[in-house]
Amino acid sequence: MAQKKVIEKKTRGRIAEVIKKLTEILGEDKVSTARTDLLSYSHDYWPISLHNMLKDEYPSTPHAVVWPEGKEDVKEIVKCCYKGKVPIYPYGGGSGVLGATVPEEGGIVVDLKRMRSVKVYEKDLLVEAGSGLNGYYLEDHLNHQGYTMGNIPQSLYPSTIGGWVGTKALGQFSTKYGGIEDMLKGIEIVVPPGNVLSLRPYPRTSTGPDLRKLFVGSEGTMGIMTKGWFKIWPKPEKRIKLSFASDTLEDSVESVRRIMRRGAEPAVIRIYDKVETKRHYYNYDDIFGRVATIMVIEGDEKISEAEKNIVLDEFKGKEMGEDPVDHWLDTRFDVREAAEFVPMGVVFDTIEVAVTWSKAMKLYRDVVRSVKPLKGVLFASAHASHFYPQGICFYFTFAGTPPRKKGAEDFYQNAWEAAMKAVIRSGGTISHHHGVGRQRRNWMEEELGEAYSTLKDIKEKLDKRRIMNPGDMGL
Amino acid sequence: MPRRWDWLKDEMGGISKLTQFSTLMKFLKGRITGPDDITKCSMCPNMCRHACPISIVDGKETTSPAGKSRVGMMIEHEFLPLDDNSLFPLHMCLSCGCCETWCPFDFSVSDILRPIKERGIEKGVEFESFRDMATNLENHGIVHGELEEGIELPQKGDVLYLRGCEFRKDDQDVIEKTVKGLKKMHIDVFVLPDEECCGIPAYNVGYSELFRKLAKDIARKINNSDAELVITSCPSCAYAYRELYPDFGLDIDVDVLHIVEFMDRNKELLGKRKATVTFHDPCKLVNGLDRKESMKRVLESMGLSVKVPRRHGGKTFCCGYGGSTVSRLNEDLSYEISRERLNELKQESDKIITSCPTCKKAFDDDDDVNVYDIGELLYEVL
Repeated sequence: MAQKKVIEKKTRGRIAEVIKKLTEILGEDKVSTARTDLLSYSHDYWPISLHNMLKDEYPSTPHAVVWPEGKEDVKEIVKCCYKGKVPIYPYGGGSGVLGATVPEEGGIVVDLKRMRSVKVYEKDLLVEAGSGLNGYYLEDHLNHQGYTMGNIPQSLYPSTIGGWVGTKALGQFSTKYGGIEDMLKGIEIVVPPGNVLSLRPYPRTSTGPDLRKLFVGSEGTMGIMTKGWFKIWPKPEKRIKLSFASDTLEDSVESVRRIMRRGAEPAVIRIYDKVETKRHYYNYDDIFGRVATIMVIEGDEKISEAEKNIVLDEFKGKEMGEDPVDHWLDTRFDVREAAEFVPMGVVFDTIEVAVTWSKAMKLYRDVVRSVKPLKGVLFASAHASHFYPQGICFYFTFAGTPPRKKGAEDFYQNAWEAAMKAVIRSGGTISHHHGVGRQRRNWMEEELGEAYSTLKDIKEKLDKRRIMNPGDMGL
Repeated sequence: MPRRWDWLKDEMGGISKLTQFSTLMKFLKGRITGPDDITKCSMCPNMCRHACPISIVDGKETTSPAGKSRVGMMIEHEFLPLDDNSLFPLHMCLSCGCCETWCPFDFSVSDILRPIKERGIEKGVEFESFRDMATNLENHGIVHGELEEGIELPQKGDVLYLRGCEFRKDDQDVIEKTVKGLKKMHIDVFVLPDEECCGIPAYNVGYSELFRKLAKDIARKINNSDAELVITSCPSCAYAYRELYPDFGLDIDVDVLHIVEFMDRNKELLGKRKATVTFHDPCKLVNGLDRKESMKRVLESMGLSVKVPRRHGGKTFCCGYGGSTVSRLNEDLSYEISRERLNELKQESDKIITSCPTCKKAFDDDDDVNVYDIGELLYEVL
């Protein structure tokens, strides 16, 4: 039996007393200290965790896992942990890729997936959803009633609504529907030492600063969201699919800049650099070796037609029809490559960043040129997948096998270091929609400057005993 | 035309000859198949979580599809012992196959983890409720133990009707109506007085030897019955006879149809009904037998106004009692899943049609709805 790899867990606060108390309050069914559960909640989908799992290494396990079923349960958990000074790690779908839920200081993981209520307010175009509600479940529920929320991340199937808010997520159709911060109209959240804040949904409000936004992207460091109210849309009556092959990445990027400037908002725009075009469109002769762009325009029929005309006016590239778009629609949730390559020792990750138009190409080139020459890197490539009148999100992918005498984590961190430096040097933001977690925390100060101190002050005021996801984002 | 990995080989260029890439290159060239199934499933971020009834309702990582595989991987690595505690989450599976629908590798978590469950049984790691079930199957050929048959049914004819364990125990009214309905269609139907379980509960739990024994017994009885056709009320039975038995070297010599398939093939003989109904697709019908649209098509062909539930066809949602293990180890969870499904169906109609004895039983205790087996429709219940 391979027991040697268990690493002694860190302990903070009166953990035994808190677990006993929580078991009394919540009941045995909602609290577990079973080894299988502790191992299951020791990680999210951070690539480093995957490599550790393959080696049976679990460096950060919690002391217990709890499954609240409502606001009152969450209140009790926060109260109890605050009193006992025990860390809390809110947990959604575990699909985050930056280690935001890793219980590195031990304590209690709070899995919210049993809080999955859903209620649609058709007249108000709002949906009220429990924080643990599954993303696909919500979208499918809305679709059945003739609506959409329009938030379709690649993690739609495993992720939760609370996770979306916590990481400030956005989806593949964001250029039309926006990010979760645009959709969130109200939030109910439990903050230390166990107070419930209920910020009700309004079309707009100017009652002071927008406190809702304080919790969007807070990754469980400020409190535990119990439910939210989100904007929904009537299910689109029209969908138009367009694709293009361009000679250069610059041609595609510049075309989309002009389209955005004219006010068109295709729900999906994806530009693949030449490497990624070859990767995704290897069986399309006319596209292979060029730069592929696909678009989905959807919504009201007349508006969609007008947007299509703007796109056709502005795009510099050969029209390739609907088929490449259908190929993307069919394969967009396929994550086979991770499952196939990670066990073969391949280290890979994606890094999503954003930058204004004027700096876009510089940033793209700088990141690829910084990562690709690193020893062991097999490839470094990018696509652009979210657009704004002001700029663009680049989504970089790198993969490699660690050189001899170098571990997976060292190799991984070297690649990240090179990419982050290049992004900051080029005037971009280090994160567009995956958040910060434990992977990006060392670059927070460099990007935020003095504002990082303000963020720390806010955290300290809200969570004096530093129990809420301690260490995440460096807080 | 370029092939799937040509782009990567191009990118790797001259470095491809270095030894550290040799495993990867062998994979890219198709010389090795890559990791085993449990490892691959473990490395997935749960891209079928939304389809897994256990995962949606139970909400626990450990019992999520990839979560179960991760526990399985730890057992395989001997990082976790093969004991009750490690096997418990693996048994939190309804064997509904909904994960397979969404898996790019076409994995059924139930199938890829079955060898571990079987090893557990071989090693004597048994839950008491599993042992009770196995004893009943060994002694009586049915999971419920000795049964009292309340109704007289023909024991000779052309078409063998296999009633299924659940209807024989709890719902002989459905059996009677189904037989009468088939007779109305001029089907010369008969039953086996000593009908036995198809063995699928033993298969699900991991009693592979017991499954073989039961399968051999019932296959012999069916083959000796001289039936021209076999119709089953239970989709799991039809699945076992058609899909599982051949894997164990057993063949049923005659066509086996589930009642929905039979009705689908004989739509012109079905009477017309006037009612608004909704339906529940049993998982073994849509995923096991790949009959994604049959229930809906049959009901519509009968003139019924059919309200289609959100989750139907390949996106169906198990009633909570499939797979033989969850209801025996965590009955509360089975019940909770059944309420999740029932509440969805109630949004559509108070008349629910299903075509599986286990599903009917799962929904039957709600006074606000009437639940029918599709076989009953043959006998004008609506």
